[in-house]
Amino acid sequence: MAEASYTTTTRLPVESIWAFVQDMDNWAHFVMGYQSHEKRSDTESRWTLKGDLGVLSRSLTFEVLITEWRAPSQVRFTLRGSNEPMSGEGAFTIESTATAAAAEPAAPAAKSIVARWLEALARWFLGLVGGRAEREAPTRATAGESLSTMQFQLRLDPGGPMAPMVNAMITPLLLPAAEQLADKILAHLEALPAGASEGEPR
Amino acid sequence: MASAPAPVPPPPSWDLEVDLVAVGSGLGGLSAAIAAHDRGLRVSVLEKAPRLGGVSGFGGGEVFVPNHHKMRELGIADSDEAGRAYFQFLSAGFADPTLQATLLANMKPAVEYMEKEAGVRWIAVEGLPDYYYSDAPGSHAGGRYLSVDLFDGKSLGEWQQKTYPMTPHVPPGALHREMYAWGGLACVTQWDFELIGQRVANDQRSFGPGMMGWFVKAAIVDRGIPAFVSTPARGLVVDGGAVVGVRAERDGRPFFVRARRGVVLSVGGYDWNRELARQFESMPDWNSACPPHLHGDHLVMAGEIGAAIGAVPPTDLALFYGYHIPGEESDGAPLHRSSWECGCPHALWVNRAGKRFCDESFYKDYQPRLRHWDGQTQSMPNLPPFLIFDQNYRDRYPLGSFMPGQPLPPELVVQADSPRALAEQLGIDADELERTLERFNEHARRGEDPDFGKGSRAWSVRLTGDQSYPNPCVGPVERAPFYGVRLVPVSVGVNSHGLRTDEHGRVQHLRGGSIGGLYAVGNSAALLDMGGGYQSGTSNMRAITWGWIAGRHAAGAV
Repeated sequence: MAEASYTTTTRLPVESIWAFVQDMDNWAHFVMGYQSHEKRSDTESRWTLKGDLGVLSRSLTFEVLITEWRAPSQVRFTLRGSNEPMSGEGAFTIESTATAAAAEPAAPAAKSIVARWLEALARWFLGLVGGRAEREAPTRATAGESLSTMQFQLRLDPGGPMAPMVNAMITPLLLPAAEQLADKILAHLEALPAGASEGEPR
Repeated sequence: MASAPAPVPPPPSWDLEVDLVAVGSGLGGLSAAIAAHDRGLRVSVLEKAPRLGGVSGFGGGEVFVPNHHKMRELGIADSDEAGRAYFQFLSAGFADPTLQATLLANMKPAVEYMEKEAGVRWIAVEGLPDYYYSDAPGSHAGGRYLSVDLFDGKSLGEWQQKTYPMTPHVPPGALHREMYAWGGLACVTQWDFELIGQRVANDQRSFGPGMMGWFVKAAIVDRGIPAFVSTPARGLVVDGGAVVGVRAERDGRPFFVRARRGVVLSVGGYDWNRELARQFESMPDWNSACPPHLHGDHLVMAGEIGAAIGAVPPTDLALFYGYHIPGEESDGAPLHRSSWECGCPHALWVNRAGKRFCDESFYKDYQPRLRHWDGQTQSMPNLPPFLIFDQNYRDRYPLGSFMPGQPLPPELVVQADSPRALAEQLGIDADELERTLERFNEHARRGEDPDFGKGSRAWSVRLTGDQSYPNPCVGPVERAPFYGVRLVPVSVGVNSHGLRTDEHGRVQHLRGGSIGGLYAVGNSAALLDMGGGYQSGTSNMRAITWGWIAGRHAAGAV
């Protein structure tokens, strides 16, 4: 079993994030290795991703089933590999939190090279030791501002005789995948002009 | 590839000045770099790919060296004379005697040097016989192959992410002796994947990636030899009739490297150069199991300055047939896999006529038969071959990376309830396929194959056999559903044409004599030292040996 959890914060209100993420068409292309997706019903979809181990990449197709829909704060889903013996589950959680603490420093506009290197090292280490990687991103707000948090959780269970090997291969990939999805969604929304939004809550 | 006037004149100023530059970071290039560095030369390595290791890092990591020092340590009897006799048998009269003698005289010192001076930890692969054991003169029952001990990828520092941690062709993290103890390739479901998973998590490398880990550490990490990835060489700089450097490309700009004592071309073959493959290999189609960086740059660059090309008969080289699993890529290009499944029980090959034509468990037998030309019909009757297997196979053995029980992609594998229905879907003569299976199965139930001797080679039995069978390579194809795959040629980077070299690895000119300052090693050098023969592990052995020879020669040691 490989799993990752990534939590990040934003000044954006929960409702505007939800309006965007509720429609997978809005963010599907932010998923690492995204190739295509197809909505089959309100709860079912089929995704094709390119799993990239560097020396070898291959197309992976997953059947995704939404198991819980709690607007505007949480979506839970399960997934099952169509062409690989793999299953898993995950969740998007968006919550409004207290205002940023006065003592909490504002996140720098751009991470330094050292900070990025340390993050990469931490990700690699987490990937090596546990099979579970967690990270909380620096706060994207200044003191006193209202905050929302977005958390993306993902767990994959490879099956078949090679499961332990596949597990070791995919573990280092999960946290970067979670980070990429969450960060790109927020970066996209934060870049929109004030007052603009994409999608309507349902 | 960018075209440019040739030869390239010296630039007004050089971007880098060294004594020797190795173009290519596989075994040949790094062996040359290590040997030259240790003789006091300033050395640099240029690599076209984004990672170091070349094709050597993509393979099984076997090095074939008769009578090597690890055999002696283990008390396995062998002799130089026997090794020489075996190589002469392999070459079938097509080898250049001087080059073969040079190869045989230097292969043992070269691999021993890499252990003693460069820290490469060799292990003898016990029990893996020569291809032609026991009928060829000088052949051996097992021990001539070397592989490496597990390599710690973390010891590469910044180069850990710029090398291949695994090859797509063999599950990672296992040693050869473990692979065979666990049942071999056919019985991969019985491998200890808990142990392998721990090793993968700790980046403990084996096979080709492990071997190249040791060489990259020795050359780039321990010796501090500068290496530049994503830096393809585009042309040879010539001054006064001799090669004095390389015009490479780095970040989209020219990168001129001066090489006072020599340029070593070690860029592999030309698998990914369709035009060269079409001209030289005489096959209707061509695909590669290697990463997409083998464009025959050595033939293009050296050809521009009059280098001579050498060739060996293509009929006996390491050409396989295999398939492309839809969606699989390596370094952004389609990855092909050679099919060894045909060597397992419950599987065979047929041609379009529905007939078998070879011992499917021994690729040295099927290669020339695949190339068979029928002058009566002006055709190659055995192309394409079709892999046929049944549910007994599916229950036991993998197809590529698809384990038993895992769905097979319909774009690749045709499935039917009967041999006739399968033949009709694949475009095979259905009547003949039924007759073929009837005859094959009749004998296979007794573990026999009187027609082609499948499973009669000890090497085949070891590599793809299921040891629980009376004949580990033979089992009837009789249980529905039946499966079929139309196969395509898959090269492993060992091509029939290369640069003609002399006993020092120097590239020869079309008009005779050597081109000053230019060496070619590994698969970039024509296999004139091998002649008409091939044995797995000889490509790696040639690369190490000729790289070591060229590096020392450039340093004035020979």
